[in-house]
Amino acid sequence: MITTEMTFGELAALMKKAAGITVDPQELEQASDSPFDSFGLDSLGLLGIVGELENRHGRSLPPDSERCRTPREFLDLVNSTLTAGA
Amino acid sequence: MRAQRTQRPRRAAVTGIGVIAPNGQRPDAYWKAVSEGVPVLDRITREGCDHLPLRVAGEVRAFDASALIEDRFLVQTDRFSHFAMAAAALALDDAGLGSGDPAEPFSVGVVTAAGSGGGEFGQRELQKLWGQGSKFVGPYQSIAWFYAASTGQISIRGGFKGPCGVVASDEAGGLDALAHAARAVQRGTGTMIVGAAEAPLAPYSMVCQLGYPELSTVDDPDRAYRPFTADACGFVPAEGGALLVVEDEDRARERGATVRATVAGHAATFTGASRWEESREGLARAIRGALDEAGCAPEEIDVVFADALGVAEADRAEALAIADALGAHGTRVPVTAPKTGIGRAHCAAPVLDTVAAVLAMEHGQVPPTPNVSDICHDLDLVMSRARPAELRTALVLSRGLMGSNAALVVRRAGESAR
Repeated sequence: MITTEMTFGELAALMKKAAGITVDPQELEQASDSPFDSFGLDSLGLLGIVGELENRHGRSLPPDSERCRTPREFLDLVNSTLTAGA
Repeated sequence: MRAQRTQRPRRAAVTGIGVIAPNGQRPDAYWKAVSEGVPVLDRITREGCDHLPLRVAGEVRAFDASALIEDRFLVQTDRFSHFAMAAAALALDDAGLGSGDPAEPFSVGVVTAAGSGGGEFGQRELQKLWGQGSKFVGPYQSIAWFYAASTGQISIRGGFKGPCGVVASDEAGGLDALAHAARAVQRGTGTMIVGAAEAPLAPYSMVCQLGYPELSTVDDPDRAYRPFTADACGFVPAEGGALLVVEDEDRARERGATVRATVAGHAATFTGASRWEESREGLARAIRGALDEAGCAPEEIDVVFADALGVAEADRAEALAIADALGAHGTRVPVTAPKTGIGRAHCAAPVLDTVAAVLAMEHGQVPPTPNVSDICHDLDLVMSRARPAELRTALVLSRGLMGSNAALVVRRAGESAR
């Protein structure tokens, strides 16, 4: 079970692993309200990240999690979901 | 409405070539190996394949996909698309169209042929499915294995928005794709990126091929693929491929591009899976159709790049088809099969042959047929070393294991129908 909130650094690492996108964690945080498109991440890429997180934590994220538009929106959703069950 | 053109019809010119082959990863390296007849067939070294009865193939070694393609494309694609994207980029560079977004994205299209799709990627994801569960299958499995993946990824990566397509018509589809691109250019598309690349040397893909009776399982690389000889024992598979830039000849010349050849004629027929005796008539008709479209007499063919399957019945049918379609010229024209040095890369095999044909015309040399001597058919097969010759028009032949036959006529730049 998750004990600490997911960070922009972890999201950046997942973007690299699941979608091959290199992004600096600080830039991701600074531009966290920019759409994922602007980082080169499409919905299939985000779907891969959702799957990775679900497998890692052994629980589901809400339906349509891969439709989050921005990094901040996605992190808020992930953290509220995972910490709610902690 | 567009003004009627009164001049000659638009012609499809080859202005760029990109090659990722077992014997070279640039056209100059490929031509050096092809013209010197250096065979590179070898024991298969890919992981997970050593227990399989298929021993010899043409592997593309030391291919560094990450040096040529961005990670975000690599993670969502199979090796066959890596080859295709790399070859497309090399071809665009060669054509002088390599940098930046296209000026007219809707005037650039992509067409590829594919025979087996992304077997290695698919195997990895299916192993996750049955080993760990459906939640462990990555989303890119939905696109990476698919025949259309290379066309799609080349067009996305380059920002090309013109007509795109995928030809799934067996090995001969490599030639059908070239014809498709030439017709797109004749209908008004400015530039087409066209060709094929295959990656059939992973465990799952190799198992799929084991059922082909035409597959050679001989384990001596020098003896495994010897078409037209009494020792013919089937074909050896290969990976890799080639992409070409084909564009309207006048437009190419206006922008100062070097026209390397023109695609002059093509035809295709179908005679059924492994019915090699019947492929004689099918191939002969394809040759006649291609000559017709090119406005080319049989005597004008200066070199034939043979399909060269390496199965006695199929080799005989091909030799007879050449004689049927070209008449007495069929026994005099130089014939070659450089693929005996690298193997048959399925749909990419005839595209690599077309590249060899263009380079042969540029260099004035018919490349040899490695590992082949003492043939038992009435053909002038060029064997031990390249033969110098004035080459204006080349005929490329291809047949697929599932029964397709195709012929393509290419002309040297500046040559036209007489």
